[in-house]
Amino acid sequence: MTEADEEKVEVVVVGAGLAGLSAAYVLAQAGVDTVVVERGDYPGAKNVTGGRIYMHPLRHYLPDLWDDAPLERHVTRETITMMAEGASTAITLDNDKFREEPYHSYTILRSNFDRWFGDKVAEAGGFVLPKYRADDVLVEDGRVVGIVMGEEDEIRADVVVAADGVLSLIAEKAGLRQAQQPKHFAVSAKEVIELPAKSIEERFNLGPGEGAAQLYFGTLTKGMLGGGFIYTNQDSISLGLVVGIESLMEREPKIEVHEILEDFKARPEIRNLVADGEIVEYSAHAIPEGGINAMPKLYSDGIVVIGEAAGLGLNMLITVRGMEFAVASGVMAAEAILKAREKGDYSADSLAHYEELLKDSFALQDLETFRHVLGFMENPRLFNFYPQAVCDIFTELMWIDEKPKPKISTTVIREGVGKFLNWSTIKDGLGMLRI
Amino acid sequence: MDVIVCMKQIPDLQQIRIKDREPILDNVPLVWGDLDKNAIEEASKIKEAVEDVKVTVVALGSDKIEQGILEPLAMGADEAVLLTDPAFAGSDSMGTAKVLAKAIEKTGSYDLVILGEGSTDNYSGVVASALAELLNLPMISYVRELEVQDGKVKAVRNMEESFEVMEADLPALVTVAQEINEPRLPKFMAIRKAGAKPRHEWGPDDLGLAADEVGQNALSVETLSNLAPEQDRKNIILKGNLAEQIDALVDALTKEGVLGR
Repeated sequence: MTEADEEKVEVVVVGAGLAGLSAAYVLAQAGVDTVVVERGDYPGAKNVTGGRIYMHPLRHYLPDLWDDAPLERHVTRETITMMAEGASTAITLDNDKFREEPYHSYTILRSNFDRWFGDKVAEAGGFVLPKYRADDVLVEDGRVVGIVMGEEDEIRADVVVAADGVLSLIAEKAGLRQAQQPKHFAVSAKEVIELPAKSIEERFNLGPGEGAAQLYFGTLTKGMLGGGFIYTNQDSISLGLVVGIESLMEREPKIEVHEILEDFKARPEIRNLVADGEIVEYSAHAIPEGGINAMPKLYSDGIVVIGEAAGLGLNMLITVRGMEFAVASGVMAAEAILKAREKGDYSADSLAHYEELLKDSFALQDLETFRHVLGFMENPRLFNFYPQAVCDIFTELMWIDEKPKPKISTTVIREGVGKFLNWSTIKDGLGMLRI
Repeated sequence: MDVIVCMKQIPDLQQIRIKDREPILDNVPLVWGDLDKNAIEEASKIKEAVEDVKVTVVALGSDKIEQGILEPLAMGADEAVLLTDPAFAGSDSMGTAKVLAKAIEKTGSYDLVILGEGSTDNYSGVVASALAELLNLPMISYVRELEVQDGKVKAVRNMEESFEVMEADLPALVTVAQEINEPRLPKFMAIRKAGAKPRHEWGPDDLGLAADEVGQNALSVETLSNLAPEQDRKNIILKGNLAEQIDALVDALTKEGVLGR
């Protein structure tokens, strides 16, 4: 190692989330001198997910990582609930496929998982530097040559990997992304509520180690874009909701996210599930909702952008994804960097390989396929009219009183035609064809 | 001149949760005590001010110390002695002092031993005094200013209502108060280079101690209970519009004796 080399590393990754750690893990395993800078007390200290990670894409990208990973419960039951005023209708999918190994998805607590992953990166030879914050990029002759930390510290590197999350300061400082629009983000609030494993398994009708994933939409977001969620962990429940920031800004009267969460928790459908639990963690986080329309430029001379910093997150209405994108983009960035390293060329042209890999993968293809979901979800009828209509029809069918009941078909046809056959709903139906 | 700094890894107090009045220590990250950092900072300052100073950190902790030890080494220590053998775990203050004394003697040479005035977890404040006794060193405690010159150490002690100036011949032991300095945040390159500095891991055998002389086998004080104070929440929910709620809050706080004393 020459004198000059001692003052520089090969790769500096900003942010110890799934994207950054995945990139660092692959690079460190390949013997690349890699440093991960993390502003939290440890990897995961500031990282939040709703609660579930889909395993199949991950096993493809990091095959050897998962055996002893601290995941929570494998999800065996999926429920989607439409909430109206004073009523709700749920659809549940229970499939034996969910009980077959390797499991399809797990609930996850990021503070545990990311810390473990950080240790794995260190074992592989990467250097994880917690409690240090990257504030800016070092630029020389128009190319990124490192990062600035605080007033007087810096790390010089061949490549900077911006993995600093949804509001990526590094991508912005490097001029790779424009000012953001509120409509491209949602805000999430989440509680982790501790309960004994046995109570969780009884309340959610689960076997040992099995987990439930529940999504809620409808009146709980008070007409705003968003929804609620519950994921069962080993000894706790993750409960929270997501609301579009633009909807929240435009709403009159104003309401705070934590108030919406309190109202959601007070619903009888939810109340009993979390009764007597102790809130052990409360978090709030921004979520990218802009999809492919809101992505920054993914690379430039001496820098690549990965994970949520790259806008890689996808709300597919009934599934919400981000972590697989993070891992996949981290691994692909690492592959591109390894290739650039062979050539000794870290220019934009050389790092462009990262975007090619992304384009060939599920990551950019899914974002492309679901590019109209956001527009579709901006429709307030999705959150007030439809859940109410569905609950009304079911209530009509289920309710027995002293009056004679009409035939089921009569009820369904009368209510169905009355509620669902008009210009708005036909337009919504056509809109649905685009997603 | 050889300066020894004693440090101990403790659970990050900000991340400890209390359940049923007991602290939950599982998974809590380990950090250095705040006062330990004042101790290493002061040693680094002496090294910068006085010629030919070697600083050795003697650190107690778990096997997770590997990364943590980079911090004092990056702050200025030249060498580290790691006392991470599980046999040392659970020591009381006397046991800790005994292990530290043996380790310091084994380093071969010590002119000045610096500790924080207490550890930030249990804060017994006993280890330093016991260590001074075992090493037969003069001790100056609660030091807020320190100067090393001509084979002597001169220190200003914080007596809360007065300052006391003391002097001792080296070798000596001092404990430092938080106000003595502002520990530096080491730069990245210093941390990176710290990895190459010498480290020694010593277990009971290396220190000439038998298994029943250390850790939980050699307690002179038994901890009967370690409980957090009980805090009952009042669970008062204020109703009405904002002005009414504020009035009700002021009333309730006055009634509790929090306001208007």
